[in-house]
Amino acid sequence: MNILNVQELGKSFGKFEAVKGVSFSVEKGESFSLLGPNGAGKSTTINMITGLYPPTSGSIQITGVDVIKNPKQAQKSIGVVPQEIALYETLSARENLKFWGRMYDLSGNALEKVVDEVLEIIGLTDRAKDKVSTFSGGMKRRVNIGAAILHKPEVLIMDEPTVGIDPQSRNHILETVKRLNNEGMTIIYTSHYMEEVEYLCERIGIIDHGELIACGTLRELRESIGDRSRIIISLDNEGSHHLEISSLLEGLAVEKDILIKDKLLTVFHKEPQAILSELIQLVTKDGTKITSVEIVEPNLESVFLHLTGRSLRN
Amino acid sequence: MRRILAIAWLHLKELFKSPGTLVMMFILPGLFGWIFGGISIESGQTKPVIDVVMNEEEHSTEIFNLLKQNEHYQWNKATLKEAKEHVEEQDTVAAVVIPTDIQQKVVENQPLLDVILRSKTEDYLALEPHLQGTANLIIRIHHTVEESNSTTLPDMLEAAATSKGVAIEKQTIQKDGNNPVEMNLMFVGFAIMFMMFGLSGAASTILDERIGGTWGRLMVTPASKLQISLGYLIAYFLMGWIQFSVLMIAMNLLFETTWGNLTYMIPFASLVILCVVGFGLMIAGMVKTKQQAGAIGAVLIVSTCMLGGVYWSIDLVPEFMQKISLAVPQSWAMSGFKEIISGSLHPATLIKDTLALLGFTAGFFLIAIRGITFK
Ligand SMILES: Nc1ncnc2c1ncn2[C@@H]1O[C@H](COP(=O)(O)OP(=O)(O)OP(=O)(O)O)[C@@H](O)[C@H]1O
Ligand SMILES: [Mg+2]
Repeated sequence: MNILNVQELGKSFGKFEAVKGVSFSVEKGESFSLLGPNGAGKSTTINMITGLYPPTSGSIQITGVDVIKNPKQAQKSIGVVPQEIALYETLSARENLKFWGRMYDLSGNALEKVVDEVLEIIGLTDRAKDKVSTFSGGMKRRVNIGAAILHKPEVLIMDEPTVGIDPQSRNHILETVKRLNNEGMTIIYTSHYMEEVEYLCERIGIIDHGELIACGTLRELRESIGDRSRIIISLDNEGSHHLEISSLLEGLAVEKDILIKDKLLTVFHKEPQAILSELIQLVTKDGTKITSVEIVEPNLESVFLHLTGRSLRN
Repeated sequence: MRRILAIAWLHLKELFKSPGTLVMMFILPGLFGWIFGGISIESGQTKPVIDVVMNEEEHSTEIFNLLKQNEHYQWNKATLKEAKEHVEEQDTVAAVVIPTDIQQKVVENQPLLDVILRSKTEDYLALEPHLQGTANLIIRIHHTVEESNSTTLPDMLEAAATSKGVAIEKQTIQKDGNNPVEMNLMFVGFAIMFMMFGLSGAASTILDERIGGTWGRLMVTPASKLQISLGYLIAYFLMGWIQFSVLMIAMNLLFETTWGNLTYMIPFASLVILCVVGFGLMIAGMVKTKQQAGAIGAVLIVSTCMLGGVYWSIDLVPEFMQKISLAVPQSWAMSGFKEIISGSLHPATLIKDTLALLGFTAGFFLIAIRGITFK
């Protein structure tokens, strides 16, 4: 059963099309991720799914409820972790959690109980009484997540919940999300960190310039680039090796499999070891110097690079 | 309902945790009230002083009591020497000497009271009719005593001093009632102005909330727009009332001011506070950042308060200014408060003030809602 259905979703801000006809669906209990670089349209898509922005076109159903027609009904079954730290900084962690719990109709003892539980989950029981403004970035992020899971939502929607925090807090958050998912919560997660997405998510949608350019499981996405590794060679100049390398790889790859950008030569190949020495010879033939060589197993970065010619990080 | 109260409670709590707002809402206006209130009380207390030079005769005490009925002056007993010195040093307006041979003076039609003064100041000119009246009274009483012969002059004078029928007394009551109304209105004016500052500051936190993300988060909870708006509204309304009542009670304790009939005061003040909340939200709806709200708010608040007679009575300004003042809500608020505090409660004026304020409130909220939802 699909718990989330998104069809031909579009959003324009004035003349600018931030999201262009995105469609995907998520099954109950699944963890799904939207991966894309800054400005790809992840937040805009998420904000339409949560009912914050009215879409310019398309439709969304969550647990069978039409979000556009019936947002308040749909919002009862979702928990939202915004990209910003959306908390009242002058109030304590506990006060914040209690407030957001009340917005989901929790009250009295039941509210106290879940607030305690959530404080435990986010590991802030001993700082519960402190003002949020005194917290570190990582702690704030954890409260930000805590406020979204108080009412035990069927679907937890998280927009870059780990932006700008230390590795320890990040690991804590990732483990928490994984656990929630294992307990049956459906997760929708956006990020521009492929490591997070690879760790957390069964299915991944890659979004760029407002378009969903690929969607599938990690395995499917790897297969879409022929499960090829990347050979990354750093050069001291950009040279003019493109054609020669193409001829070397003849029969094995098309032009798209070779990228030269910012003094970085990237070659996609199934058996990198087999062609490496020949490749190096070719590149250095005209006196170009190599500063480093790296071979990367097929991953999401490779998929993105292969699809867009750009790296995820910029 | 729970959600509404939770939102209202949250924002009240936030407010009381922000020192800046507290200073703006309570400390500053308290200081203003204290200073300005102190000044007007001081000037109220320094009544012009008149020395009265007494003698041993029984009638002099009674005449002193007669004179003392005019409460606009402070009447002190003094010796002739002291009195002359005080006049010389301008410590007193004048000195009145009660003659020992008053009966003879009446008979011979000589001036009854000797007055020592340095120059005819305004205070003295205001005093003159009272002295004249007192003298006339003494003469008339003397004639009555002559005719009836049944009572002595001092007895009659005493009767006159304690009688309520004297015209002066009425005048005294009227003037007495007027000054505190002016002063109380000044406090109300301060309260309105600082409420405008306080509430427009509070309302502009909505702008921070938009940027900070709590606004967006609130929007994606099951809380409806109506619940959210009511929550904020109640919070600001209560903030306004807390501020208003704290200031009013403080002024009451400090200066023993009175606020008229509370059955009128409370609903009218509620309307004024609602109007101020609308004003604050309107500013929040017109601008993009809290800083802009602060700047525009300050300009709008100070200028409209000036026009609306918050700093000085609207009766003191030229006619065309009085006309302009009708375009700002403060003038209607002050007019209504004046009716209530003075106790005159003129129905037509009160109804007009109420309707005007309702109009302003509705207008402010309309602009606020458009501004806040269309951004
Ligand atoms: N309210 C808005 N008005 C105008 N343009 C907007 C608005 N919100 C987003 N955009 C534009 O839409 C595009 C997509 O923005 P969005 O925030 O969805 O990206 P994102 O994938 O979430 O990026 P990031 O990783 O930086 O959060 C951007 O070019 C952004 O400038
Ligand atoms: Mg984003």
